[in-house]
Amino acid sequence: MNCQECHDYIDAYIDNELDIASTILVKQHLRDCFGCQQLLESRKAVGALLDNPQVRFEVPDSLLGRIQSALPVFRPEVKQQSRTRFVIPWFSIPLAFAATIAVTLGLAFLNQGGVFDRSHGSSIAQDVISSHVRSLLATHLFDVPSTDQHTVKPWFDGKLKFSPPVHDFAEHGFRLTGGRLDYLNGREVAALVYQRRLHIINLFIWPSESSRNIVATSFSKDGYNVLHWAHEGFEFWAVSDVNAEDMRAFADLELQPS
Amino acid sequence: MNDEQTRTRFETLLLPLMKDAYNLSRWLMKNQEDAEDMVQESYLRAYRFFGTFHEGSNCRAWFLRIVRNTCYTALGDHDLKQKQVLLDAEADEIEDTSPLPPVTLSKKATVEAVREAIAALPVDFREVVVLRELEGLSYKEISEVSGIPLGTVMSRLARARRQLYLLLSDRKQHDQL
Repeated sequence: MNCQECHDYIDAYIDNELDIASTILVKQHLRDCFGCQQLLESRKAVGALLDNPQVRFEVPDSLLGRIQSALPVFRPEVKQQSRTRFVIPWFSIPLAFAATIAVTLGLAFLNQGGVFDRSHGSSIAQDVISSHVRSLLATHLFDVPSTDQHTVKPWFDGKLKFSPPVHDFAEHGFRLTGGRLDYLNGREVAALVYQRRLHIINLFIWPSESSRNIVATSFSKDGYNVLHWAHEGFEFWAVSDVNAEDMRAFADLELQPS
Repeated sequence: MNDEQTRTRFETLLLPLMKDAYNLSRWLMKNQEDAEDMVQESYLRAYRFFGTFHEGSNCRAWFLRIVRNTCYTALGDHDLKQKQVLLDAEADEIEDTSPLPPVTLSKKATVEAVREAIAALPVDFREVVVLRELEGLSYKEISEVSGIPLGTVMSRLARARRQLYLLLSDRKQHDQL
């Protein structure tokens, strides 16, 4: 590789967008060429200056409300009209009762076998995602902003009937940034907020109903990765837009905090 | 899917992208008022075209393309002329590899100085820098958002970074005087 080619490839090299063969050629060239090393340094210097979250512009507070009110409104009266046109014949009422009873019995029977555990899990997953999205939108990410696990943990005492495990994994790139109370699956839960680079991870914790440990199971929907596990008497639901691999790493840390 | 479900789904997918949409719009329009208008217009357009969004495809790239095109439409003639000049200049790649002045960038360059340097870039260069460095998009995603080929993404990014380096090192020399 000559200098011209190295110049052409240097940005893709920095951005990890180059195939392996070209990456090796660029590396070899850089080892021997002082001029191109200088170029690499200059690119890195620019990159370092831009890699600062403050360079971005923050969304003005009023914009969310403005957009929500500008979007076309869902009009319930249209639905009600169509509903009144639907006339129920008198003889169908007892049939409907019978059908309802049959279906209920059927579901109860199936559920004994645990057939619906999975769909139950994915409905919690949906709630977990919604709660995550709300927390990002509503400027209500924390009740207690703190990077100190010894501040966050006592804060939950007296607010919840349980004391959730709280750990900071800043040295592994998952920084604890705070905690808040949330409401999920019909109960009050602890929400811990972690930051992975520019991304937020919400970790929801509540006591398990059974003492059974559950290995981490992942769900993925609408660009969010959700991971669920149960460990030492607690249910854990982690949700974020970070990639599945990072989520796994996060769960592994939670499972072995020491 | 009924109206209410569509609206809920739209909000779940797209409202979390507001920070990305605003940041891109703010950098393209260069002022807060226009940036907000463009984000609002983009949401309305996205809502209208939501039917064309395919489940499982890249929602962020899909929406940022709408934001980008909305901003470009508003920028209109003035910037299109500027763009033409740039396309001519783009053919000239040899000058680009001339040695860089041997200065080191101050690690403490203020956020203001960095913002000024990005703002000084022509819109096409600014766009790729913002999408890559501030939004963290891959080259493929940048190509999707801006509608320019991968090779052009790469060469614009190279030229933009070089210009940023020159702008920021000039600034440092001025500061020292």
